Amino acid sequence: MLGSAMLLSAFALLIIAGVWGVSKIIVRATLDYFSAKQRAQRRWWFVQARQDQVKRLFYFKTQQIKYFSELNRKRLLKRNNRKHIQSLSKAIDKDLQSIKSKLPAATYQQLQQDNVRFRKQQDIESLLKLQQKISTLVSV
Amino acid sequence: MTILKSWVINIVNLFHSVKDENLKWQQVNQDAQAKLKHARVLAEKALEAELKKKSVKLEHDINLLKTKHDAELSMFKTKCKQDIKDYKQYLASLDQLKASIQVSYTHLPEAVAFTIHHHAKYLLNKMWEAEDFEQKMQHEMQLIRFMTTVHEDARLYLEGETKDNLPERTLNLIRQQ
Repeated sequence: MLGSAMLLSAFALLIIAGVWGVSKIIVRATLDYFSAKQRAQRRWWFVQARQDQVKRLFYFKTQQIKYFSELNRKRLLKRNNRKHIQSLSKAIDKDLQSIKSKLPAATYQQLQQDNVRFRKQQDIESLLKLQQKISTLVSV
Repeated sequence: MTILKSWVINIVNLFHSVKDENLKWQQVNQDAQAKLKHARVLAEKALEAELKKKSVKLEHDINLLKTKHDAELSMFKTKCKQDIKDYKQYLASLDQLKASIQVSYTHLPEAVAFTIHHHAKYLLNKMWEAEDFEQKMQHEMQLIRFMTTVHEDARLYLEGETKDNLPERTLNLIRQQ
């Protein structure tokens, strides 16, 4: 009986000591967390992080401006290419019309289809080759 | 029971003697401990003050940096807009180049005019995309030389100084490049 009572009291003492110790640590940590030094330290880290953020933001904004500028330039170039490809294709079509009577209907149709396809694909090389081919046909 | 009692008394005595020792030690070292505590508090205060000072300075620097960045970004934006305008003008002048050579050589095949114009555009893009300043200048010189040759060919043909039906010098330049 005495033994179990002692064991129980020992356990109770141990638990109380544990709870006391943990509460003390928690209170001390909380006080330390809100202490002036820790607050100043956290403020310093926050300001440092903000500085990095400002630098990163500047870099990304510069990249964004560069990207949109390049996009605009490419758009201008594409529009210009399309305009000139259109006029080349028209010239090819005109040449084709002029030799229509000398060509078999199937060849004429094929060449005309090629012209339209290359124009749609914006394929400059093929259009130039087609023009050369038609010139050879004209000279023959 | 008596053994247990004496055992408990011994433990209590031991506990008291340890406490006594501790008290004596604290008495002897009271001054040093107080000094240490004081020094620690002072150091913490100094560190806190320094951190606060540094934070305020950095915040000020950040504000300056932001202003500087805003100004730089605004300048960069203006520069990019100007670049796009210049590029547009270059494209327009190349279109004009094509038109002028077509006006001079009335029977010039569209494919040849297209090739000349396309090559000029290729040189322009090479100049535009060059990262190095020296390379950029080199490509610009190439483009200017090319445009001058085209104009020269057109002028010579118009003035009747050449009998070539095609702008041969320009085409030679394309073949070389």
